[in-house]
Amino acid sequence: MELRRLRVVHYLNQFFARIGGEEKANVEPRVIEGPTGPGRAIQNALGERGEVIATIVCGDNYFSENVENAVDEIIPLVYRYQPDVMIAGPAFLGGRYGVACGAICKAVKERLNIPAVTGMHAENPGVNLFHRDVYIIQTGPSAATMNEAVSKMVQLVVKIAEGEKIVGPAHDGYIPRGIVVNEMTGQTGAERVFEMLLAKIQERSYESEVLQPKHDRVVPAAPVRLIEQAMVALVTDGGLVPKGNPDGIESVGATRFGEYSLQEEVALKEEAFDVCHAGYDSTFVKQDPNRLVPVDVMRILEREKRIGKLYNKFFSTTGVGTTVEDARKIGRAIASELRAEGMSGVILTST
Amino acid sequence: MKLELSVLKITDVKFAHKTDIRDGVLFLNGEELKELLEEDGRLRNVEVEIARPGEKHRIIRVIDVIEPRSKIEKGGPNFPGAIDVQGVVGYGRTCVLQGVGVVVTEFADMVDSDEFRKAVDIVDMWGPVGDLTPYSKLNNIVILADPADGVSIEEYRVALKIAGLKAAVYLARAAEGFPPDEVMVYELSLDREIGKKLPELPGVAYIFQILSTQFNPLDGDPVLYGENVERIVPTILHPNEIFDGAVTAPYGSIFMETYFIQNNPILGQLYRNHGKNLRLLGVIIMNAPNNVDECERAANMAANLAKHVLHADAAILTKAGGGAPEWVMMRTAQRCEQIGIRTALAFLHMGMDVTEPTLKPTSLFYAPEVDAMVSMGTPVGSLKLPRAEKFIGRFKAIGAVNEGVEWPIRRIRGSLSQLGNSRLRALRY
Repeated sequence: MELRRLRVVHYLNQFFARIGGEEKANVEPRVIEGPTGPGRAIQNALGERGEVIATIVCGDNYFSENVENAVDEIIPLVYRYQPDVMIAGPAFLGGRYGVACGAICKAVKERLNIPAVTGMHAENPGVNLFHRDVYIIQTGPSAATMNEAVSKMVQLVVKIAEGEKIVGPAHDGYIPRGIVVNEMTGQTGAERVFEMLLAKIQERSYESEVLQPKHDRVVPAAPVRLIEQAMVALVTDGGLVPKGNPDGIESVGATRFGEYSLQEEVALKEEAFDVCHAGYDSTFVKQDPNRLVPVDVMRILEREKRIGKLYNKFFSTTGVGTTVEDARKIGRAIASELRAEGMSGVILTST
Repeated sequence: MKLELSVLKITDVKFAHKTDIRDGVLFLNGEELKELLEEDGRLRNVEVEIARPGEKHRIIRVIDVIEPRSKIEKGGPNFPGAIDVQGVVGYGRTCVLQGVGVVVTEFADMVDSDEFRKAVDIVDMWGPVGDLTPYSKLNNIVILADPADGVSIEEYRVALKIAGLKAAVYLARAAEGFPPDEVMVYELSLDREIGKKLPELPGVAYIFQILSTQFNPLDGDPVLYGENVERIVPTILHPNEIFDGAVTAPYGSIFMETYFIQNNPILGQLYRNHGKNLRLLGVIIMNAPNNVDECERAANMAANLAKHVLHADAAILTKAGGGAPEWVMMRTAQRCEQIGIRTALAFLHMGMDVTEPTLKPTSLFYAPEVDAMVSMGTPVGSLKLPRAEKFIGRFKAIGAVNEGVEWPIRRIRGSLSQLGNSRLRALRY
């Protein structure tokens, strides 16, 4: 039986569509019938398997200055051609272009339910934004690697369209999507760690199976000048929540936080609170929640005018198996609210 | 210190009037074992069940698995400090029933399915769950018991663990007088002699976290010669002591059961290579404290013992527990590297930055000196439970472990290992 030829729509920026350079970066979305520029390489790689039926072009600035509008304009153009798959780019190191490719692939996948693949260099900012949502083939830094990039993109998109199993990032050439899986290997952990140690002792090469995270550098805020006048907030990642956990904060891998009123409280009352944190023994906190969120002591300091005021809410989340991305999001949200409320200082209690 | 393990290979277990072994089959007088375990006034209503590989049995709330072992010499102490008086282990002869597990279960009174899933570990003897755990390959003697009236939950848990150890010794004693199928000899001279014989080989220590204090250790839980080691500082053990009952898995330990302490795969690997390409110098045991001061002390002491007492050139490190112990392990490895001991770590990852577009998983910590790490998987994922024909365990939330329930892999005992027996590795997709 002959396979039906795949209908492919391709996305390019103004530069790769040969409309122009920076001076044309404001061009609105438009359609070119058939392949153009790198689309011809895609057509070559597809051969008889498919056909690039249309190319959608948009200027990098037009896109990056109105991302949502641009996506809304482009989606109907894609839909009109009823493609089986979408290919965007490759964008290599082009930052605005990479973001556009990622955003379009994501929207096409989510709104039209059409598989989409793009390609970028690992350091393209589009990678961090979209690698979780979209298959991004890892490319070299520049168009010098076009043929290789296109060939991998086409192979992957054909695989997806035909329902073949995606083996994995190393095999299929895409940038890992942040999905962590366990795989069975040929050797036990004991055998592998022994061999790694031996290689290290014998000064042979070895490859660590685990990498270390890159941590943000955070510049500490300036010290509080007049603590007697300062408004101070309490924040904890120890998972103190009102009974029933009304915000449904996860006990492991938190994605959200809660804020809870302290209008009247002289001290937190044991019967009103619970702990939803699965990473430590919370018996003592449950007995007296002030051990984690020290409202009792803060009220005394307030009365003695050693601080200006205790903020009328406390913030809580769980710090256990939380991804850095979620922690960052939670931290930013709490910090921006505290800043808006004119907070001078925060006491962060952890467990 | 020379230890001989007389191994009997057991292929099946059956109830019988007399506890005995014939042709590789363990016959078990369940009544006799039940009476022995009920001698402990903290337990009542003891039951003993059998679960064989391939049977569609689901064991509920497994808290430990133990390999039946007992000293062959008269009065040789079994699990000294835990069930026998203090004594020396690690030398002499010990009988091992290979292919048998004593599976200790705790009753589960939670009714809510979510609460149940957070606290209960299962073992299936067949199917997709069974495929993930080595304990499904054993002929298991499952112990069930309730707390006696007035006994606290902590006392009950300690009593359960002790019941498991007693059962393990009781079963292994049935092998007395039988010729072993195999004798495994573990002999390791830690004195200067070995340095003379094997001068060029690098000396390796194993730095073994046996307890995490993330959760309060149980009072009276026998972990090291009967001690709960909540406040232990790093110390040195002979590897044979670990094989021979000096150390048992703490209650509530994560991905570490007594079975794989007795059969510690890292030590097995080091022993097999002792005299070939390394010298195994000894084991430094430590806990993972829950505060910075004690962490630093433990890391410094462990590194100093390795360097200046054992004269190690290199060390392998493993951890107990979850995230915080990973930090303690890192700190210990970092201290080792700083004083010239080369390290390799094997662990499972508790958390991970999913924003990193790299192929490999990442650790929780950042320490550039620590550059050789083996991934032993991550406690993510779940699978659909198949229909079990029989549940072994005492629990109320029956719907929580029925057919079709999405069950977390981390709640399958044996699915992941801190001690290197699993073949899992975490990757990003």
